[in-house]
Amino acid sequence: MTNDHSAIPLKLTEHVKSAGCAAKISSADLQAVLANLSKPICPQLLAGLDNWEDAAVYKITQDVAIVQTIDFFPPMVDDPVLFGRIAATNALSDLYAMGAKPILALNLLCFPVCDFPLSVAGQILQGGASQVEAAGAVVAGGHSIQSAEVIYGLAVTGLIKPEAILTNSGAQVGDNLILTKPIGTGIGLLGHKGEILTLQASQALFSNLTTLSEKALACASSFPIHAATDVTGFGLIGHLHEMAAGANLKFSLKARQVPLLPQVLELASQGFVPAAAYANRQSFADFATVDKNLEQAMVDLLFDPQTSGGLLLAVAPKDCQPLLNSLQATGIGASCIGEFSSGAKGIIEVLA
Amino acid sequence: MKNPNPSASDLNLDLRGLTCPHPVLSCKRALDNPSISSLQALVDDEINVQNLERLSQSQGCTFSKTTEGDHFIVLMSRTAKSTTGKLKADLPVFVDPKQSAKAAAKSNLQAQTVILISKDRFGEGEPEFSTNLLNMFLQTVLQSGHKPQVILLANTGVKLMAKGSPFLKVLNDFQAAGVEVLACGLCVDFYGLKEDIPLPQITNMFVICEYLFAAQKIICP
Repeated sequence: MTNDHSAIPLKLTEHVKSAGCAAKISSADLQAVLANLSKPICPQLLAGLDNWEDAAVYKITQDVAIVQTIDFFPPMVDDPVLFGRIAATNALSDLYAMGAKPILALNLLCFPVCDFPLSVAGQILQGGASQVEAAGAVVAGGHSIQSAEVIYGLAVTGLIKPEAILTNSGAQVGDNLILTKPIGTGIGLLGHKGEILTLQASQALFSNLTTLSEKALACASSFPIHAATDVTGFGLIGHLHEMAAGANLKFSLKARQVPLLPQVLELASQGFVPAAAYANRQSFADFATVDKNLEQAMVDLLFDPQTSGGLLLAVAPKDCQPLLNSLQATGIGASCIGEFSSGAKGIIEVLA
Repeated sequence: MKNPNPSASDLNLDLRGLTCPHPVLSCKRALDNPSISSLQALVDDEINVQNLERLSQSQGCTFSKTTEGDHFIVLMSRTAKSTTGKLKADLPVFVDPKQSAKAAAKSNLQAQTVILISKDRFGEGEPEFSTNLLNMFLQTVLQSGHKPQVILLANTGVKLMAKGSPFLKVLNDFQAAGVEVLACGLCVDFYGLKEDIPLPQITNMFVICEYLFAAQKIICP
């Protein structure tokens, strides 16, 4: 590795408007975009466009299905290796959310060759590959183009037994819901961009952003999981809405039980709230009834877009504590954040 | 809503064209200065207006906005209550809310003196002698009852906190006396002392700047 650029800090995020999953097209806009797209009819397709599933699942044989998904975004950090690792963690997260084991990944890279040395592109791919390797999968190629803005992500493929697929719509009345990572990455990344995160808060943020959900899924696989998804760009409430709507149920969210990253509540109260959180609020406000006693900063966090967020696992009440114990014994700071009940379809009742 | 008059605020900021978090960051930094009691900002995005409204609330300021053409004029003013001791109550929030209350109580008792140590010696001279001199300086400050608000360590100054350093005792005594001792995180990283220094004592240049600008007196031995 050469040191020729070490004197000038490279600002990958310099011209980036929205970072990570905060760059996602809003749910409302996406619905309009997809409205006229015909849904494929294909018996092998076990999960696809229906109910905003995390990944597509295609049945190969009675025993094997492949799970595919793609995720990419502009950089949220200036360190190219870290950016690569976060992007890969985020892409792989959708596979874990379906219950799949990652096997293969392909890079997707848009890169302004005039603005950055090529070594930066190499470092981004290095970071991505290291995380794919940590997940037990391989990077088998990819595609890159020149562009005005840096964008990186991966198309990832996993394997699953068709009967083991975890969809986001299978929650049952009375199910408890477990969240396996704290929230606040969108707001935390704004704080990082503003260089006002404490060292402790930034360490917690980046450790969170690069933690694979592999161990969480391994714990979950010993229990009957009724439904699962991961929390990403649409924020906690957006993804809760998908789960509740898919199951024709209502969800009661205990806001105080939701684990938060350090410093993010304070940042939200001071106005460090990304545009995508406002967009999420606009998209999902009709589905959420919020207790008036809940402070605005907490509500902002519930709409905060998450990058490589945690898994949401719906389980019968009797399995909730044993699964929590198993997750916590593995070092995962999971928390039970509420329960499903019969009631208005897709409504999220936010309790203080 | 009354039209904010530019001449009525202490500071006018044109933040048009800036994306989040820069408008809210600029205003926060301005309001961290206790001599600024009102602030007018021009922003061109509704999101920034909403974020500034949140900032206003968190800083105990009144908030008003008007639309002018394709941008917004936001006016934030401190209420009488929020001006006293505001900065000190606010600053260490970056570290720990509990510490902020402690710092606020402290700042009311003591005019704020900050000691900035940006090298591991007192002046330039024979190295070992100069190091001993720095230790003697700190001991003397402590014994004479002078109580700075904070001791900031930067550059080779962070080596004072390295494992086995002869300064550990006097720095601990300062902390026991309620003086915060904070080390520059970048410097700690650079000199490879991450393992030696407890996390709550690691800070960043932003916090260091805020302490220096808020100080009544800065002592750089």
